Amino acid sequence: MSLLLSLVASAALTPSAPLPAQDESESTSWTVFAEKVYDPEDGLIENGLIKVQDGRIVSITPGARPPGDALRAFAITPGLIDASVRVTRGGSAVEQSSEVTPSVRVADALDTFSTSWERQVKSGVTTALVSPPDQNVIGGLGIVVKTGGPDSVAERTVKADAVMRGSMGTQPSQRNRPASGAPSSFYNRRPTTRMGVEWEWRKAMYDAAADPSASAPELTAVLGGDLPLMVQAWATQDIRTAVFLKEECEREGLGSPRLIIDAAAEAWREPELLVRTGTAVVLPPFDADGRTGDNAFMAWNTARLLHDAGITFALSAHGGSHERQLGLQAGYAMRGGLSFEASLQAVTLNPARMLGIDDRVGSLDVGKDADIVLWSGEPFQPTSRVVGVLLSGALAVDPRPSNN
Amino acid sequence: MQFKHTLRPLTACATLVASVVLLTSSAEAADKIAIKAGRILTQAGTEIENGVIVIENGRIQAVGQDVEIPWDAEVVDASELVAFPGFVEAHASRGMDRSNESVDVTPFLNVRDSIDPVNFYFEDALRSGITTINVQQGANTVIGAQGLVVKPYGMTIEEMLVRPDAGLKIAARPKGGKSRATQAQALRRTFGDLKRYLDGLVQDKKDGNDKARREALYQGRDLDSEEAKGTRPLTSSAVWTVEGLEAIPRGEIDEKQEPLLKLVEGRIPAWIHCQQPLDVELALEIASDNGFLHRTTLVLEAACFKAADRIAERGVPVVLLPSLIHRERDPITGEEIETFVPSVYEEKGIPYAFASAGSSAEALWFQAAFAVGQGLDRAAALNAVTTTPADMLRLGDRVGSLEPGKDGNVVLFSGDPLSITSFVEYVVLEGELVYDRSKDVRQQHLIEGVRPSNTAAATDEGQGDDGHGHK
Repeated sequence: MSLLLSLVASAALTPSAPLPAQDESESTSWTVFAEKVYDPEDGLIENGLIKVQDGRIVSITPGARPPGDALRAFAITPGLIDASVRVTRGGSAVEQSSEVTPSVRVADALDTFSTSWERQVKSGVTTALVSPPDQNVIGGLGIVVKTGGPDSVAERTVKADAVMRGSMGTQPSQRNRPASGAPSSFYNRRPTTRMGVEWEWRKAMYDAAADPSASAPELTAVLGGDLPLMVQAWATQDIRTAVFLKEECEREGLGSPRLIIDAAAEAWREPELLVRTGTAVVLPPFDADGRTGDNAFMAWNTARLLHDAGITFALSAHGGSHERQLGLQAGYAMRGGLSFEASLQAVTLNPARMLGIDDRVGSLDVGKDADIVLWSGEPFQPTSRVVGVLLSGALAVDPRPSNN
Repeated sequence: MQFKHTLRPLTACATLVASVVLLTSSAEAADKIAIKAGRILTQAGTEIENGVIVIENGRIQAVGQDVEIPWDAEVVDASELVAFPGFVEAHASRGMDRSNESVDVTPFLNVRDSIDPVNFYFEDALRSGITTINVQQGANTVIGAQGLVVKPYGMTIEEMLVRPDAGLKIAARPKGGKSRATQAQALRRTFGDLKRYLDGLVQDKKDGNDKARREALYQGRDLDSEEAKGTRPLTSSAVWTVEGLEAIPRGEIDEKQEPLLKLVEGRIPAWIHCQQPLDVELALEIASDNGFLHRTTLVLEAACFKAADRIAERGVPVVLLPSLIHRERDPITGEEIETFVPSVYEEKGIPYAFASAGSSAEALWFQAAFAVGQGLDRAAALNAVTTTPADMLRLGDRVGSLEPGKDGNVVLFSGDPLSITSFVEYVVLEGELVYDRSKDVRQQHLIEGVRPSNTAAATDEGQGDDGHGHK
């Protein structure tokens, strides 16, 4: 996208083009048109014209005729939200000083220069929750960021300290040495079993409740329900552990954590547990054979089942691009029987509400951030692709053929 | 799904036949069946609304809107479904006991001996609407075994067989442990050895030494058959010839060398796997230096698109392995460059076929759909999974489209074959119903979370124990 090309393209526009040509790459004011505009709240808007000014949506007009300078595509959806994007958080982002590190911020390890972000933008994901990796029992604080835009984390932040992240199951105990034999290192990590992981969780919660002044204030915020607690739990037994932990906290008067279970592949087995506790769920990417992490089985109708049970859930691609991108995960949910409308919500509005950022993103609304995805055909079908992306009103992927 | 029960053979008798066919693969196919489909994508230039496909004795008799249904045909009502010829897998290294040998040069082996008819892969292929598969060995080789074209149904190789002599697998990329230079040398030496062997054979004959004949007799080979005597004289390669070879009876050629001789004679095809553009150069060299370029298909990983000009010059067709997108980082600017490779071959007029990925969610239908998403013309994408691979396998007269005279292979989809919400509901192979989604317990478990009724005791939740300690 050279400057020259932008100049040529802009020269061809009508005189009513909102901005001078040389500012196009910087511009956050656009007019966007599609035959089909899909909004997770308002449903289908035919021949929708969306006006964007200074990075925000200022009007949405149904049944409109597109002006000559409008960016056009077959369909439009809001920018997609991945509530469990697992990019730029390799092993080096694991804080090894303790298994419980509630004050650690993954924001401090975030690399905005990583090209993984470009792939996210190209696949239509404009907002993402990044959490600390799951080698720790309680890993620390996650952050919601825009996937593109300015290079500083601060400017990309949608919500700092969005969730407290932790993990059940085998991952926090993997590679930790068992007690048998002589320890080979002073820094041997614990726990080594699922039981140990659960013990660490309960100890952290009880300690925080018993003496808030001596423990991390973030854990107090979790117990107070002010900071959502996002726990990775793939298999049923780990989902149970997480739910029972929440219930124990309530029963014993420690507090009432707002629980979100991430990678809840086997949520379909006991949806009543999630309904009972009002727990929200993020599903991992679909696997062709149904096999996911911790050897948990996720049938392809899981999303539909959760929808029918009234459970709030979001889909995630875990940061995958191309054949593994979030849009296709929504397609796979449809393959499992979920409606298009519910699939759209599961990658936009649901994660936005779950993370408390729906005042800014998650749907096409006047006043919200202009995160807009333009599709070549029906969204979420493999026969369609993302041809354009507006991210906070900036043209991150240009749908005009001459500028590609 | 709403279409699950729409296909109902009209008579009780027909239903019985269908279920018997499913239970025992040896059951005879119905002589005549007529499939009434809501939409027929013939892949022969037409799309028919509410048409009929008549299959007689395993072959398509008629396709069209105004086709008369024979009075004695079993009528199958698929008026809610979409009929499609079935996908053709141009090259797959799956369904075998092991897909690679430890020995470098093994043209004397045949995948016939390693294909496992009950391998899960074949079941999964059928479920994805793949009806014809060219099974070739893997790429971790120098010269691999001979391949076979099979259909994914049957309890023995004979039942599965569509055509023998599907050619030899060759790797232009290095076998594990070899460098590219060693691989190139091994390939050149193999054909050098063949030529030296043939020269020696001729010389022995001239010297009155009948070592080869004695060896053949010792191995118990029949030297009196027409084939062994050589009704068709040995021609050696179109590029290099061995003077006096025509005097050698074919039956006296060592079994280990015979398939290689067939290859250089151009009597069987070659499938040459390339990983990098430089491998393409080696593949073209080996094939043209030994006279089998016209029978060569290149099996290409994404990076090879950079050699597309050379491939176009030599007029060689290609199989494009997933992923169809090539990504690389510019070493100076650091910018990530993405290339959708089928467009490159399309633009240069090179015939190309797609191949399924290892994940069954990314079988041929997905590759075609994904290609359309990336901007490829829908017709071109569908050709790359039907007619083009059929032509590559020299089966253009038998599979790849729904036309009179072709094999009676029909896949019935619940919707458009490239839609993410469509499923294969039924597969008919050579007039025989071999797949019925409503009876596919694995599919039901995977898609609908329904456990097969015979694997666990029913509980209140309808779920059994699968090792996760449920209850």
